[in-house]
Amino acid sequence: MGKPVLDISDLTVSYHTERGHLRALRNINMQIEPGRIIGIVGESGCGKSTLISAIIRLLAPNALVEEGSVLFKERDLLGLEPEAMRGLRGDEISMVFQDPMTSLNPVRTIGQQMTDIQYRDDRPKAEKLARAARMLDRVGIAGPTEQLGRYPHHLSGGMRQRVAIAMALMTEPALLIADEPTTALDATLEVQIIHRLQKLQRDFGCAILFVSHHLGVIAELCDDVVVMYAGEIVESGATRDVFLEPKHPYTRKLLECDPARIEKASRNLPVIAGTLPDLADLPDGCIFRPRCDVSIDNCAHERPTLDGGDHCSACHVAVP
Amino acid sequence: MSALLKVRDLRVRYPVDVGITSMLNRNRRSYVDVVHGVSLDIERGETLAVVGESGSGKTTLAMALCGLVPIMDGDVRFDGEVLPRNKDGNLQIDRRRVALMFQDPVGSLSPRMTVRKLLGEPFRIHAGLSDDPDRSALELLSMVGLSSDFANRYPHQLSGGQARRVGLARALAQKPDLLIADEPTAGLDVSIQGEVLNLLSDLQQELGLGIMIITHNLNIVRHVAEQMAIMYLGRFVEQGLSELVFRHPRHPYTAALLAANPSTNPDAVPERIDLTGEVPSLLQRPVGCEFNNRCLRAQAECREKFPAREILNGKHVWNCFHPLPGESL
Repeated sequence: MGKPVLDISDLTVSYHTERGHLRALRNINMQIEPGRIIGIVGESGCGKSTLISAIIRLLAPNALVEEGSVLFKERDLLGLEPEAMRGLRGDEISMVFQDPMTSLNPVRTIGQQMTDIQYRDDRPKAEKLARAARMLDRVGIAGPTEQLGRYPHHLSGGMRQRVAIAMALMTEPALLIADEPTTALDATLEVQIIHRLQKLQRDFGCAILFVSHHLGVIAELCDDVVVMYAGEIVESGATRDVFLEPKHPYTRKLLECDPARIEKASRNLPVIAGTLPDLADLPDGCIFRPRCDVSIDNCAHERPTLDGGDHCSACHVAVP
Repeated sequence: MSALLKVRDLRVRYPVDVGITSMLNRNRRSYVDVVHGVSLDIERGETLAVVGESGSGKTTLAMALCGLVPIMDGDVRFDGEVLPRNKDGNLQIDRRRVALMFQDPVGSLSPRMTVRKLLGEPFRIHAGLSDDPDRSALELLSMVGLSSDFANRYPHQLSGGQARRVGLARALAQKPDLLIADEPTAGLDVSIQGEVLNLLSDLQQELGLGIMIITHNLNIVRHVAEQMAIMYLGRFVEQGLSELVFRHPRHPYTAALLAANPSTNPDAVPERIDLTGEVPSLLQRPVGCEFNNRCLRAQAECREKFPAREILNGKHVWNCFHPLPGESL
């Protein structure tokens, strides 16, 4: 195994709000090896977006990184000058957002936008355009040269998202972060994008951090998966292990709740009883204990740590 | 007994002004047909799920039925009576009897009103629904499973699932007969999604609501809807009993959609149907069947004319010249 592209250790981030200190991320540890696709799953409010924002240093002004480090190719991103950070974004780290309609500029053509982002290269415009067309071709867009003259609204949703992917990969980043990139698409296009991403990842060799709450997409695309709950990582490991033999009760329940897994049509879908804990007033011990059905005495006092080697979970009850 | 909502050949068209020439040349305006001849029936106590990708016209269909956008053509009957249209072409539906649950849960609630005020608003607008709007608001709150603590919160203090519940409570304030829910679970996690859907089912049983649910999540359709319709570029290409459609999809688009649904079993070997080609633009609606450029079964005739609807036992309808084989009768 090579050195991880991204190595996050003990990352803790909190938000200052009227209600006090909201501890949105607590002791996050994760590594991404080069060329791996890692999925992050978890419910809204579990800290997925905060984690991404912390990596690319686009946290809201009221957020504070309390401790920890985010090493990208052995440089701590959290200590970088804003100028140096800007140099990394869109070059070595790029991002694909959920809604391509809002991440593309509606009043500039695809070709203009794709040459704009090559501002770092000192090359003639014709070459930049040719490069953009080649990139569009690689994401499977037919007639790439003609498409360069079109505006985002001329394209279908699936095409727009592929344009966004083409733009993100154009600088051959070492890390691509994708935040729910298939949410707005139907299943046929979703699968198309996933397979395209898989292929591109093999060609470019970049690592991908893929955030989604669609469990099926994660299962199909990712090598490894990280399950987050209320600001903590509760389980991580190879996708196959986590989905087939979940260790943490939360992961198990999350999978049980997925309507795709319930074969017989039911009007009474399973839910996880209880609500998310208040991040401003965290319970002692295990964060999931109030909703857990297998908790033991120790769970109320001692916070479990993430243990277990390749497939680890933060649970006192789970078999290591 | 007649259906609660009966729609025949509904059409909605939006004008598109492309550049200055079309502004100067009024009689050469171009249009997009967003809803292109949709027919459906919804019975009391029954749920119809409308499935399709973003941009296929689902939300426009919902808005048209609620009278929020003008329709071009179509016959819409609610509870047996033909709905009139106003001078702009909007359907004039009794808003007390049809409720719409909007797609964006927080965006559809006024940020400056507390939950108590938001829930009391329908009672203040439709006088006669309640003598005591405040008490009725609290009753609604408990009906959707939120404690009275929530009454004094503002929308930004609610989570996605809670905001959805408030949206649902507001929709149910006037005791409607029909509820149109636009993506009621989009952006929700599986657990909260289950809560919202269970709540809808319970309230449906209790109040005998007819529900039209708009979604692009196939996984939930099987569980919540007796009837389903697959929408593609403004048309229903297939519709019928959900059970039948899932078991024997006849339209190639439906088949591809069902086969594409990613499974949470990492060992699953999906039998995918690989579609090629792009989704056509509504500005240039293809001649013939709209799916022909992506369809693996398309023949010459599919590029010439739109296939007539085929009906099986009145329970399963599709528009395709070369449907997949179905059940032997």
